Amino acid sequence: MSTASVQIAKDRLKALLGADRMQCTPDITEKLSADLYHILSKYMEISREHFNIQITRSDIHIKYTGENN
Amino acid sequence: MGEVIVITSGKGGVGKTTTTANIGIGLAQSGKKVVVIDTDLGLRNLDVVMGLENRIVYNLVDVIEGSCRMKQALIRDKRFPDLYLLPSAQTKDKTSVSPEQMQKLVSELRSDFDYIFLDCPAGIEQGFQNAIAGADRAIVVTTPEVSAIRDADRIIGLLETRGIKKNELLINRLRIDMVRRGDMMSVEDVSEILAIDLLGVIPDDEQVVIATNQGEPIVGSDSLSGRAYSNVCRRILGEEIPIPDFTKSDGFFHRFTQLFHKN
Repeated sequence: MSTASVQIAKDRLKALLGADRMQCTPDITEKLSADLYHILSKYMEISREHFNIQITRSDIHIKYTGENN
Repeated sequence: MGEVIVITSGKGGVGKTTTTANIGIGLAQSGKKVVVIDTDLGLRNLDVVMGLENRIVYNLVDVIEGSCRMKQALIRDKRFPDLYLLPSAQTKDKTSVSPEQMQKLVSELRSDFDYIFLDCPAGIEQGFQNAIAGADRAIVVTTPEVSAIRDADRIIGLLETRGIKKNELLINRLRIDMVRRGDMMSVEDVSEILAIDLLGVIPDDEQVVIATNQGEPIVGSDSLSGRAYSNVCRRILGEEIPIPDFTKSDGFFHRFTQLFHKN
């Protein structure tokens, strides 16, 4: 059975909106995420797999724990 | 003083005009005085969806150019107590009206109507700028597709930049059966991505096509989409009507999707 297409749609949208909102490519978003992770890891204990950033129209949200939401 | 609401989407073909017609009609059925304005210059459509295409004498551009009075251009829909249409021009192009002129036209209508709805053209060019110029709030229409949601996101950004803060989302043509099997983004998925208040969800319904063919409204009819549009109207009037969970395994919508599966 093939993967449900919803997840693909959501992933593509996230990449598109990130690029639209920041006017940069998903590649730059990835680099920004890596840089922010690097900076935060200087001050607190965080793990890479639980760290992610989310870009909205007006904010950048940083998640650095394994908790959902 | 009437409230001015623009109905917009960015992408074409997601249901702006159908939504404008049915919300306008629904509020008129509730006793409100409503005018719906077609701002799509050159591609007049709202009159056709409402079944009023044979009654046009003057249009929006005639009013703005001073070729007629507002009263002469407003078409009263005889089926409903207080519903008027200001049709667009079919021959003029989108540069024949400016945002300032639209703003003036809309403010002229405020004292006579409870609600003024502006059916916005697709795109983000002058037609869009004209339509949002006089608006207090916006209804952003999208379908659960990547391209439509992307455009809606762009539109919300532009509305916020123009100082329109009350922007609400209307998700159109939701296929409940597809959501259930994971092949269409759900109401939650779309609202989470766009992160604005949800005004309503209209399930995909062939009754909309049938009603539009006939130039008849769907709102107020005993159909999935008719009830959904009625709920949208009641929410605009300030009633707290919860959005049904379209994917829940019990209740009416489940039974409805079960019908689909049997066929």
